[in-house]
Amino acid sequence: MTGLPDGTRLAPPELAAGRELALARLRELYGSWGYLPVEVPALELFDAHHPRETQAFKLTDRGSDVLALRSDFTPALAHLVSTTYPAVAGGAHHPLRLRYAGTVWHANHPDLAGAREFTQVGIELVGVSNARADAEIIHLARESVRAVGLAPRLEVGNPAYVRALLEAAAVPREQAPTLADAIDRKDRADVLALVGALGLTGRAAEAIVRVPDLYGDESVLDEARALAPSDAALQAVDRLEGVLAEFEDASELLLDLGLARRLSYYTGVTFRAFTFDYGQPLLGGGRYDGALLPYAAGFSLGLERLMEAVPTAGPVDLAPLVLTLDDPAARRLRAAGVRVARALAAEPAAAEAEARAARVPFLLVAGELRTVGAPSADVEARRRELAALLAAPGEGEA
Amino acid sequence: MSAQALVLALPKGRVLEDALAALRAAGLELTMSEDERALRHDGPGATVLVMRNADVPTYVELGVADAGVVGRDVLLEHGSRLYAPVDLGFAACRLSLIRPAGASGPVRRVASKYPRVAAEYLRRLGSPAEVVELSGNVELACLSGLADAVVDVVQTGATLRANGLTEVDVIARSSARFVVNRAALKLKAGVLRPLVAALRARAEG
Repeated sequence: MTGLPDGTRLAPPELAAGRELALARLRELYGSWGYLPVEVPALELFDAHHPRETQAFKLTDRGSDVLALRSDFTPALAHLVSTTYPAVAGGAHHPLRLRYAGTVWHANHPDLAGAREFTQVGIELVGVSNARADAEIIHLARESVRAVGLAPRLEVGNPAYVRALLEAAAVPREQAPTLADAIDRKDRADVLALVGALGLTGRAAEAIVRVPDLYGDESVLDEARALAPSDAALQAVDRLEGVLAEFEDASELLLDLGLARRLSYYTGVTFRAFTFDYGQPLLGGGRYDGALLPYAAGFSLGLERLMEAVPTAGPVDLAPLVLTLDDPAARRLRAAGVRVARALAAEPAAAEAEARAARVPFLLVAGELRTVGAPSADVEARRRELAALLAAPGEGEA
Repeated sequence: MSAQALVLALPKGRVLEDALAALRAAGLELTMSEDERALRHDGPGATVLVMRNADVPTYVELGVADAGVVGRDVLLEHGSRLYAPVDLGFAACRLSLIRPAGASGPVRRVASKYPRVAAEYLRRLGSPAEVVELSGNVELACLSGLADAVVDVVQTGATLRANGLTEVDVIARSSARFVVNRAALKLKAGVLRPLVAALRARAEG
């Protein structure tokens, strides 16, 4: 059979190289903040209680077990924590910083670009729950966007506030998700209709109607406090304020008290990152204490989505810089990170023609660096750089 | 696109005039091209993209348009999670289950331009009826025997009465909503926040 399954894509070098570089930068970022790599299987046992159960690509194992392709890293990481660090999974306060990157598959709901297979990259900070931990995750989310050269803006909220409003208004359990969803969509007409239908009145009802508009700078915290009908609501505002206090410059954070996405999963501060001129969120995450682990927060990003937001600055230069006729000095250039390919022609003249045809600017033959093609100031500057690398004594050569 | 220049997705047809009137009354300077075939209109206050109403959620969700105007019926069918901060009030209608007058037998097949809404409604009722998607003149399905009920928009009910059909159950009430892309509301809050307030003041005043 030819072709590709629906929602999968091939990545030619221009795309793959960009993603590889972005991934390397993200790994370096998370690593430099003390996050340790973990790996989890792409094949999982199908679990009807998995948070993304409806997304599962199912397979049948040799026996009769139903398997599922990994649809989300977080549940798998929680599994890893519970088997490797049982004390943390049991509620011990001990910070674990973990990072991951790999493919996930969503069988049923392709994203707007139609993808069903994508690369998920993310971190989790497990075993601790306080404003400093929340802020660390948000900071790294912001730096992740910067790492690929984009200007980050993060919407930050605390669904605990909306949950407190629904509790204070005594919204019946069955109706709570519908009302929370209307609040999250800032759908004023739906919110008003539900508040009316449920007969909600008083302070909590007023706060429910107004909370979708509580977005903007720090001043919304005062408004949220003035509207708060309960101690739980006040605590949610305090926590958000505590997170903000951790930032020297919080100008890239946009507060939104109306965030009420996946209210049964996210228990604390949640956030999403955006950038200008790109209408989709680049990443999302938050605190989910008690959902899969006693204390945990994290975020994940879709690498392909993130790279889609990066404007392409012309064709990427992936061609080798130097062609060599098995010159031993090539080792020095390669050690310095210069792309040096082998000439497939064996004669110097043929190798030079080969370099010219492949638009490789330099040929290294018998210890000598030749400029192939038209010389220019730029080419000459590069030649000097390469010559300096060749002249410098290599490691252990003295 | 500069940081604060707006792009709006508006549906062609009757709603377009009402939408333009509402947006202009809210202080947006919109210039529409004289050319009736024009699909894109660049004005001082915003660029207006004119499209089929069912496409509005897609344009706004992808952020190609920052905001738009579309009926709640379309949002429900699209399963959209766009911000919908203003009920503009016009283009009011009901999404209803419609049957031939006097029909009393079980519903086995429902025709609709709103297959998702219809299926969700039938599921809620516990009905095993199947849904057939049609693209227009859905009432004909009832009159020709293709289906024994339809789910469609009812405005005045005149078309139904003229064809011997009755509105059996109201599934949802709809009117035009001002919808906003989730990123745009935050990144272009400088223009969108006052626009939302002005639209609301007019619609709710």
